[in-house]
Amino acid sequence: MQKPSLSHAKKLLLTAALLLATVGGMVLYKVQALGYSLRDTLPLTSYHVTYALDFDGHGEDVRVRTFLPATDAHQQISQEENQATGLHFNQRLEGLNRVATWAGADVPDGTRLRYSFTVLPSRLQFQLPAQLPVPESYPASVSPFLRPEKEIQVDAPELTATLARIGGDRGSVQERLRRIYALTSELKPRPFKGTTDALTALRLGEASCNGKSRLFVGLARAAGIPARLVGGLILEPGAKKTSHQWVEAYVAGHWVPFCPTNGHFAELPERYLTLYYGDEALFRHSSDINFNYRFEVASQLVPSPKAKASFKIFNVWALFERMGLSFSLLRTLLMLPVGALIVVLFRNVIGLPTFGTFLPALIAAGAGETGALWGFVGVLLVVVVVSLVRWGIQRLELLHSPTLAILLTVVTLALLGTSLLAERFGLMALAHVTFFPIAVLAITAERFYLSFTEQGTKTAMKELGGTLLVMLACFLVMNSLALQVLLIGFPEILLLVVAANIYLGRWVGVRLMEYRRFRRLLFQGSPQ
Amino acid sequence: MRWLSGLREAFAQLRARREELVGINQRNVMLVYPHNARRDFPLADDKLLGKERFATAGVPTPETLAVCDGLYAVPSTVEALQDRESFVVKPASGSGGQGILVLGERLEPGVWRRAGGDTITSAGLQRHMADILFGVYSKTLEDRVFIERRIVPHAFFQELWGDGLCDIRVITLHSQPLMSMIRVPTAESGGRANLHQGGLGIALELETGRTYRALHHGMPVERHPESGTPLLGLQVPDWARVLEVARGAAGAVPLGYLGVDIVVDQERGPLVLEINARPGLEIQNVHGSGLGKALRRLSA
Repeated sequence: MQKPSLSHAKKLLLTAALLLATVGGMVLYKVQALGYSLRDTLPLTSYHVTYALDFDGHGEDVRVRTFLPATDAHQQISQEENQATGLHFNQRLEGLNRVATWAGADVPDGTRLRYSFTVLPSRLQFQLPAQLPVPESYPASVSPFLRPEKEIQVDAPELTATLARIGGDRGSVQERLRRIYALTSELKPRPFKGTTDALTALRLGEASCNGKSRLFVGLARAAGIPARLVGGLILEPGAKKTSHQWVEAYVAGHWVPFCPTNGHFAELPERYLTLYYGDEALFRHSSDINFNYRFEVASQLVPSPKAKASFKIFNVWALFERMGLSFSLLRTLLMLPVGALIVVLFRNVIGLPTFGTFLPALIAAGAGETGALWGFVGVLLVVVVVSLVRWGIQRLELLHSPTLAILLTVVTLALLGTSLLAERFGLMALAHVTFFPIAVLAITAERFYLSFTEQGTKTAMKELGGTLLVMLACFLVMNSLALQVLLIGFPEILLLVVAANIYLGRWVGVRLMEYRRFRRLLFQGSPQ
Repeated sequence: MRWLSGLREAFAQLRARREELVGINQRNVMLVYPHNARRDFPLADDKLLGKERFATAGVPTPETLAVCDGLYAVPSTVEALQDRESFVVKPASGSGGQGILVLGERLEPGVWRRAGGDTITSAGLQRHMADILFGVYSKTLEDRVFIERRIVPHAFFQELWGDGLCDIRVITLHSQPLMSMIRVPTAESGGRANLHQGGLGIALELETGRTYRALHHGMPVERHPESGTPLLGLQVPDWARVLEVARGAAGAVPLGYLGVDIVVDQERGPLVLEINARPGLEIQNVHGSGLGKALRRLSA
């Protein structure tokens, strides 16, 4: 057998090496010289939070007051939306807090008010200076946080005695905070929903989050360190009523977070949403209005804004934004070659039959908007429609192209019909099947019809199975947000796809499915 | 640790056998691409183009009765066939035997009995030819139809299977035969000699033209699964001439790696039916051995 000539092999190797070096060089240059952030290509979790408040008023004005989150170093708030018909909405700043008020005349039939926003949180962590002594004095804006409050009994003898017993009144700021943190975090947990003041928490030796936090604040203030309560939510997908409280202590010019309830020392976990500062009630409302509330939280992966900001040259992301094109179009564009590589792997290395060469990647790209399941549903719908139509019109013995045009028409009608029916029965997700790119489904219909007619049901079904499997694999890879952002920042990585295809293009190995096809030849005694 | 060395041995054996086997990737990269230029593929894909070359080179083929290259010519072509007793309608660019219509017997003017037993009228024939012209049976958008005289197989092949056409496939590299087999239709395969559709493959010794192994649905058999005809140890008639025709066909086209399909007609002897520029690899299963050995023997 004539092997490919050496110079040819060298040419291939050289091309591949050149591609690898180009990619390596460009990635290195971007990271080292231009400050591209590789770590930030990993996606972040963003949360969509909704306050759902229900109440009714009888003969008197109603008034509901709560806090709205503000953007800070820990959390980025966006897309705020107020849905409250017939109520007057007002927001103002009270100190650090954003206070929202809904007011209106009598609402005898009751009303539901929804306020929603998107949070992009990040974890905050502080390194406390080891030797920092407790300062003699504080700025005027901070010193009020040393004073006692109604439920934070800084001056109570029991509290100061406890502080002395644990050594919280001696040593550096860090040592004092450590001892106070140790004491409060070791209090027994208590699933008590009401308010516990600092002294009660100390006396009982057990408390829920607000009791532990008040005791922490009381002890810190007694130790000469300004401290305050923080109220908010722990972000978990789902619906809940439970809010949370933690504390902040003023150290070297920073308000440093602590959560004695869940064991966070000088750090604020990503999932904590800050709503207000101080010993406040999250909701205040006029009496007798059957007030009820719920927080609804949904999470979603989003590209990191830091990554976006670090991309500087050939910034296709910014280009698409300037042109008003969507992020999903950009990622589809960049991920399609990756999907094609997956198809090549499945076809040439595994040996799985599919409809067309790149149709699985195209279907996966189409399913990027609707989810893999709807890609499956779309393809299966097409298969059912094509089979039915073929059965129905083959007796008419029509020419080929008009038959395909009829198939496309019926596929379109079937999609619209499915959406109409699904919407009628409240299956909103199924109704989205119409979103599936019709062009991709049209090609699927044609390919399936050809395969069905020319190669028979068995081959068509094999190809259908192969197509769905490869499509799922393409979907999993192509829908990786991390990979998408990486490719947007480093589009040259697509040259690696080219290099991989060069390798696969000369790969003469036995395909996985051929081990099965030639199994008697490979695994059993030869007859000769 | 005996099982480990046993495993290693089994793996070494697998590797040795894999060396002999030519898979699709290897066939394409090492046989098809270097020896068959893409621009020459039409000579294999379009049977009429191939037949022109064979005619020039004096390689015998079944006689072409008519060629029809557009819808306008369909009625006149069918009209001219009214009095023919038997003939075959073929798409020029069909593959896998698709679109081939064998008319075996004229029942009355404009009505024939097909090879499978159904009858077909002039109108049905016209529609079938229109389908071929529209590319229904080919991978191209348009195609041509040609009509051939029906082959009367040599008695040897009649005995193997009477209801369809058996052919001999000879794989050639640079006009030299590498491996050969007979493909025999079954009732199951619908009269087609296609191995994937239930046809039968019989391995031939290249030197002698004797049958020594037969495969049906991937399993070795000794008799035709339907007729019970014994299949092994038979001598193909006119074997030297078969190989000569195969060499001649391969030499008539610039394609280096080929599957030449030959039928043996009762009167005219071996005829080239068609050639394939990407011959399948199932012949290795039929022989129970890979193409590797044959390729080495050729290059030695």
